Amino acid sequence: MTLLKEIVAEIIGMFVGDARLTLAVLVVVGTAAAMVVCGLAPLGAGGLLLAGCLLVLIESVWRGARPAMRR
Amino acid sequence: MVTLSSAAPAVGAAFLAATVEVVEAFTIVLAAATLRGWRPAMIGTAAALILLAGAVIALGPLLDHVPITLLQLAIGIPLLLLGMGWLRKAALRAAGAIPLHDESAIFAREAARLDEAARQRRQRLDWMAGMTAFQGVLLEGLEVVFIVIAIGAGRGLLLPAGLGALAACALVLILGALVHRPLAQVPENTLKFGVGVMLSAFGVFWTGEGLGIAWPGQDLALFLFAALFLAAGLTASALARKPRLEIAP
Repeated sequence: MTLLKEIVAEIIGMFVGDARLTLAVLVVVGTAAAMVVCGLAPLGAGGLLLAGCLLVLIESVWRGARPAMRR
Repeated sequence: MVTLSSAAPAVGAAFLAATVEVVEAFTIVLAAATLRGWRPAMIGTAAALILLAGAVIALGPLLDHVPITLLQLAIGIPLLLLGMGWLRKAALRAAGAIPLHDESAIFAREAARLDEAARQRRQRLDWMAGMTAFQGVLLEGLEVVFIVIAIGAGRGLLLPAGLGALAACALVLILGALVHRPLAQVPENTLKFGVGVMLSAFGVFWTGEGLGIAWPGQDLALFLFAALFLAAGLTASALARKPRLEIAP
């Protein structure tokens, strides 16, 4: 039972290491999907997906480092 | 048809990801083997590897029957989350904001934990050492299995990606057998950074394709995405570095 719990925790931890990063990525993907559904240029949605993920990454690392920077 | 431009990133990502995880698993197996000998540790390791191989063999071909756009989304989004998670952690470690992964410390902790358990329940120690090795290999191997399936399924790359992961296992085992101590010299964070870059690039590519976006240059776009994620990771790491105090002359 403990092993099963650890497996489940490992699987969740794989994708939700940082809840805010996960949420931000899902928002970017959702926005790109909405653009495609609304009939906007798919390449524009692709550009937003790529640029959004890059910005989310930079913001997430910077936010994660703030406690260490304050010390 | 499998082309070099599509197979090389898949094999490379599987190889590097497996190297990172197998080094971690090897440390735990070594701790178990040091305490109770190689027999229970190897039995636990073999049992976990059989279970993991079974998961790849069972799930991989099953995914070939899922519609391709659904599969690209179902795999692309988790791959993006996993890759960006690895990249974030590696960038924070490179910046010194969180401590580096220390194989020697993990080895000492696992050995102490088993030693403590040995004092409490001496008669079941072989079983415990075997279970520790089984659990370590199974948990570390889960990510490798996901990565192999994610980058291999649906594109006929399951075999090349699986071989990339197996090559990493063989390399780590040979190195481990030669040095006979935790592989603390492996540049784990650099590898993790590289894998994070590749998985994030795959994640954006497949999520986009799943949404119906035709990337210019097709598979070659992966290399551009990887370069951009590498640049973003390095930039983020530089920004996250603690500013050094300047001493006025």
